[in-house]
Amino acid sequence: MAVTLTGNFNKKMNRRTVLKGAAGAAAVGAMGSSFPMPAIAQETTWTLANSLRSVANPYHASFAKGGEDFAKSIGAKYEVLVTEGNSEKGIADIKALLQRTGGKLILNVDPNDSPDARVIVEEVKKAGGFVVTQWNKPADLHPWDFDPNYVAHMSFDGVPTAETIANELFKAFGGEGGIVALGGILSNVPAIERKLGLDNAIAKTNGKVQLLDFQPADWNEQKAFDITQAWITRFGDKVKGVFAANDGMGMGALEALRQNGLAGKVPVVGIDGIAAAVSAIEAGEFAGTVAWDPLWTGGMGLAIPYAHATGKIDIAKEGHEHREFYGTGIIVTKETVAAYKNNPPKVDFNDLWGKATGQIQYR
Amino acid sequence: MTAAVKSGDTLTGRWRRWAPVAVLVGLCIFVGLFDFNFFSWSNFVRIMNVAAIPMVICMGSTFIILMGSIDLSAEGVIAICAVAASMLVANDYTGVAIGLWSVPIAIVIGGAIGLINGAVHVKLRIPSFMTTLGIGFAGIGVATAILGGTMVRITDNGFRNDLSLGRVFDIPAAVWIAAVAVGVAWVIQERMRIGRWLFAIGTDEATARNAGIPVERTRMLIFGIAGMFYGLAGALSAAQIGRGHALIAQDKLFTAITAVVVGGTALSGGVGSVLNSVIGVFIVVVLNNGMVLMGIEPYVQKGVQGLLIIAAVALALDRSRLDVVK
Repeated sequence: MAVTLTGNFNKKMNRRTVLKGAAGAAAVGAMGSSFPMPAIAQETTWTLANSLRSVANPYHASFAKGGEDFAKSIGAKYEVLVTEGNSEKGIADIKALLQRTGGKLILNVDPNDSPDARVIVEEVKKAGGFVVTQWNKPADLHPWDFDPNYVAHMSFDGVPTAETIANELFKAFGGEGGIVALGGILSNVPAIERKLGLDNAIAKTNGKVQLLDFQPADWNEQKAFDITQAWITRFGDKVKGVFAANDGMGMGALEALRQNGLAGKVPVVGIDGIAAAVSAIEAGEFAGTVAWDPLWTGGMGLAIPYAHATGKIDIAKEGHEHREFYGTGIIVTKETVAAYKNNPPKVDFNDLWGKATGQIQYR
Repeated sequence: MTAAVKSGDTLTGRWRRWAPVAVLVGLCIFVGLFDFNFFSWSNFVRIMNVAAIPMVICMGSTFIILMGSIDLSAEGVIAICAVAASMLVANDYTGVAIGLWSVPIAIVIGGAIGLINGAVHVKLRIPSFMTTLGIGFAGIGVATAILGGTMVRITDNGFRNDLSLGRVFDIPAAVWIAAVAVGVAWVIQERMRIGRWLFAIGTDEATARNAGIPVERTRMLIFGIAGMFYGLAGALSAAQIGRGHALIAQDKLFTAITAVVVGGTALSGGVGSVLNSVIGVFIVVVLNNGMVLMGIEPYVQKGVQGLLIIAAVALALDRSRLDVVK
């Protein structure tokens, strides 16, 4: 048998094809090395998995770590699925994992795009697994319509968060003057919510704070850098503060200010609570940020369905405020940064809804 | 410019030679009409500063495109080099602090990855599009794996000053470095054999081969040189942002290729120059700067960008020499 195979091999493949294959395999190997390799054997107990966009961004890296922490605490198998911003890949990977685990899967997923959530939930229900979604889902898709498999949806309320952090910005420059604002990708739910929160904050100043210009920098640091440079030309010292809908863009804006000798003079705020932003707050260059605690979302998105799967709770009997809920954002400013760093948020996997702050609202 | 000599010294040929410059001048005047601040010295410095890193990347990309190939690995190579550079200067991640020596190391790493691109492309005869796409992805993967999704913060302010923030004659260091990079690229293109060879290869590879030009070696070397420019761009990016991370070069590839094409270098190879790309980078940067200055609605900006790119290429590219437009 082996001889026949070798014969075919030689007939059908020449040297170049083999080399091409080898190069391809090498490239795939290099890419794959950053992600945990899937286990080969059929699972007998629950497999846990977090699905996310990319481990190359700090938020999702911590999100993946949170899942790993929980899996370790119960000694379960844990996998990370990466969509790389591709909805089809995200869904296909989940289907494959459901297949491989025979439906014994607990999935904590940040869907690449809102419509993906429905497909993922339906697949998980069909296979008999359990799923928690994060951030993105259609407004008419509810966990209680897919009892008990669609366990919960978790998010953070962008509107009040952005409003609070915008007020921190206004406070930092004395509450009177013009600001510029960097937004995320125009169609993203968090981008829309955060813009709304900013608008609310500005409206409440009764004209004391004006929005000089708003530009979407698509969550991109470099774009934020370029746009901020142009703003300095256009508005000069009329810019009293910079609002950025996430910390990455805020850092880009800060570096643009630094190039013009304005770092520390024109305050910047961001959202996400990445380490660089926290350092910038300590240095007096950032006026504040909001920390999301992705270790908590990464872990609790598995802990809640696991509690149901092991009979500790019956999710179908829980109220809506435990099925669709907001987490707690921590406001970090100059005054609170030392306390935040000395006492980082802790995650207690037994306190399932301890950090939930109310049922999700649809605006 | 070299392109013009090849297009013949006809009126249209001469017009095409200067078309990118005309587009740039027209654009500047147009933006200036809306906001006179555009012409201020400080805005001029800001535009140069924003253009510096795309300029360095474009020097590499131009060579590859002149040769008739394409290089999609820039983002991955820049990511690795930026992460390497930021881990070699004083930082909050490793204990190493070799200061400016990190720059030549980043350039060497970039060059090495470029050579891998070239070798895979030439020796295994895999189209440059696929080779560089794969290596680029692998690059981002490696940078991600090194850092595990986190960022390195550079604490070496000397490094940041020497490469980005510091000013000589009120012009930031990054601009001077980009100017030197353009000079080097121009010398390679005009004064070195390899520069002439790449035009020959880009125009007609079979003829070049018959004329005794070592096509394979030239191709590999050009990919290596392009990688060195990306390596420098990586070090500059790290210095500019003060951090190294895997997504540091996000969207830079598209900007670079747009700038090369808008500058009048043909994707089919053999036509163009690094100086065209200098103009191309300024067109892209002035356009982005101008749209913010003019207060164009964000929703409309991308559309304007697209239209201008098509218009610039229509004006600058000599299509009469192309048998087929594909």
